[in-house]
Amino acid sequence: MEIGPIFRAMWRNRIGVALIALQIAFTMTVVVNAIYIINERSRLMARPSGLDEANLFYLRSVGFQEGFDEESTIVEDRILLQATPGIIDMTVMNAIPLSGSGSSTGVRVNPDANGPSTYTALYRVDEHAIDTMGLELIAGENFTTAEVRQLGRLDSGSTAPIIITEALAEALFTGGAAEALGNTLYWQVDIPMQIIGVVKQLQAPWPTFASIENSMLIPNNILDGQSLYLVRTEPGQVNTMMLRVEELLADSNPARIIMNVKSLEETRADSYRIDSSMARILLVVIVILVFITSMGVVGLAVFGINRRRRQIGTRRALGATQGQIIRYFLVENLIISGIGVTLGAVLTLGFNIFLVQTFNMPRIEWYYTPLGMLALVLVGLLAVLGPSRGAARIPPAIATRTV
Amino acid sequence: MLKMKDVGKVYRTELVETRALTSFSLDVDEGEFVTVTGPSGCGKTTFLNIAGLLETYSSGTYLLDGQDVSELGDRQRARLRNRKIGFIFQSFNLMPDLNLFDNVDVPLRYRGMRASERRQRVDQMLDSVGLLSRKKHLPSQLSGGQQQRVAIARALVGEPRFLLADEPTGNLDSHTAAGVMELLEQVNESGTTIIMVTHDDSLAQRARRNVKILDGRIQSIDQLADSRIPATPVSDRALSANA
Ligand SMILES: Nc1ncnc2c1ncn2[C@@H]1O[C@H](COP(=O)(O)OP(=O)(O)OP(=O)(O)O)[C@@H](O)[C@H]1O
Ligand SMILES: [Mg+2]
Repeated sequence: MEIGPIFRAMWRNRIGVALIALQIAFTMTVVVNAIYIINERSRLMARPSGLDEANLFYLRSVGFQEGFDEESTIVEDRILLQATPGIIDMTVMNAIPLSGSGSSTGVRVNPDANGPSTYTALYRVDEHAIDTMGLELIAGENFTTAEVRQLGRLDSGSTAPIIITEALAEALFTGGAAEALGNTLYWQVDIPMQIIGVVKQLQAPWPTFASIENSMLIPNNILDGQSLYLVRTEPGQVNTMMLRVEELLADSNPARIIMNVKSLEETRADSYRIDSSMARILLVVIVILVFITSMGVVGLAVFGINRRRRQIGTRRALGATQGQIIRYFLVENLIISGIGVTLGAVLTLGFNIFLVQTFNMPRIEWYYTPLGMLALVLVGLLAVLGPSRGAARIPPAIATRTV
Repeated sequence: MLKMKDVGKVYRTELVETRALTSFSLDVDEGEFVTVTGPSGCGKTTFLNIAGLLETYSSGTYLLDGQDVSELGDRQRARLRNRKIGFIFQSFNLMPDLNLFDNVDVPLRYRGMRASERRQRVDQMLDSVGLLSRKKHLPSQLSGGQQQRVAIARALVGEPRFLLADEPTGNLDSHTAAGVMELLEQVNESGTTIIMVTHDDSLAQRARRNVKILDGRIQSIDQLADSRIPATPVSDRALSANA
């Protein structure tokens, strides 16, 4: 093909070409990085929590009258819920996974208070936690009823049983779950904790927590007048049971009120709301940018074609077929896009390095850049196809008719 | 070579219908040099465009080398224009963004010729019009007469048997025009059939035949000189000596 003369002819109009090539380069930079961010967010959003989220909801039981007995209320509530068809189990805990609020602590394998600690979420639960959340116990055992202390702090000097996640076990012990089982951990309070079980997965309550897979269950709830219940229903009944349970509990004990009834799916959606709206905004930005760039390509092509109508007619008169005219503009477009995406590839990687350093994101996968280049070249060709076909329809008689 | 019988051409726009050519009949033999004259708007360019397959006609028949051109599709017409016909335009129609070499190269590229052969032919052609030393120059760096010589080189580079020129000297002064005319005469003497539209009567009289058009019809055909096809081709030096 006539790349040489096309290129030399473009060189005489290099400002317009350079501007469009720059536009393509910037579009590619933003689009590729935006898609990368969207994919990154989607990957975060798609991570499982380890819970049977579809069938879980939670609520808060808050005492407001004098004489409200939290401990006996919990016992009564449990009896009531266990007798309710559609409810599988319930647990009383201090924090709900995915909810964004909870507590964390540093734990050590070594009793030395100055030694290095590993951060983990801390869930205060009872013996129903594993069944209610739907966790998979991969080693050891669940807490026994006797191990659960609802009353205040643990006794100093005694050993508390704990269950940890496999990720935490692997972070602490080279031998992972197998080595962790039976071992002892220490935390700020000088109470040793013995690992009696390991669960496959349970995420910390904060989606942005760096050690999100590190969680620890301890059978010790603090009674503070308001208890958090996590309730697991039969599959597909979460919405009806939320209403039913709220009513049942409110009626059974008028000394407290039932608040914050919310399903875990809603909780997940709320927690990742910023991420999903960011993804949506970026998607809109991508569409707009690609549209504007295609319009720029179309504009440059249409401008060039109108300016060269007589030239095109002359080419037709000299024997160019319609296909050869179309090819001329496609090649011209390929040259512009080629310059644009090559520059775009450099900018894309540069911008990604900036994102990695500033926002601590993982590096872009290698194939994003070539795919982005290919996509923008295709967009350019598609944009220029219409104008080129218009150019091919310019009659050869233009050559003798225009002066 | 060219045989037109009762060719008619009607331009239709929303409001008016222009009869640009009416019962136009003309035979042009291989090797002839025919000039076409007539008042502005009489249909000279229309005739040339139809003859050169740039436009279609509305009625009648046109045989080019015995082939009925109304049967040809767009691709075949383009191919014929590329191989058989050379065009010279009043305003030269060079590509302003291409240097002289690339300009002359245009028709050969559409023929899909190998680069080495194209280069040789273009250089030879530019040499024969005396502009080889300026092949890297842009058209805007040349005088009108030089530009038209480049355009003639472009028209001839594919060795067409049929050369159509629409007022090739219309934008040139009389001295330069005479040079271009001599160049065309030499091209004709080497065997190329030429039809040239002109407003200049003295140039028109130099051809073998002069066709006068009035209102889309042939008014008269003047036989001006003996038919004579030269036996010896013209040397490159003779071509470049003119214009
Ligand atoms: N595309 C067109 N649409 C409508 N009418 C046209 C078109 N082209 C030419 N005509 C008309 O056809 C007639 C013949 O035009 P043509 O260009 O052949 O004349 P001409 O003899 O070449 O004139 P000139 O000496 O001025 O170049 C004119 O009346 C012109 O207005
Ligand atoms: Mg004319």
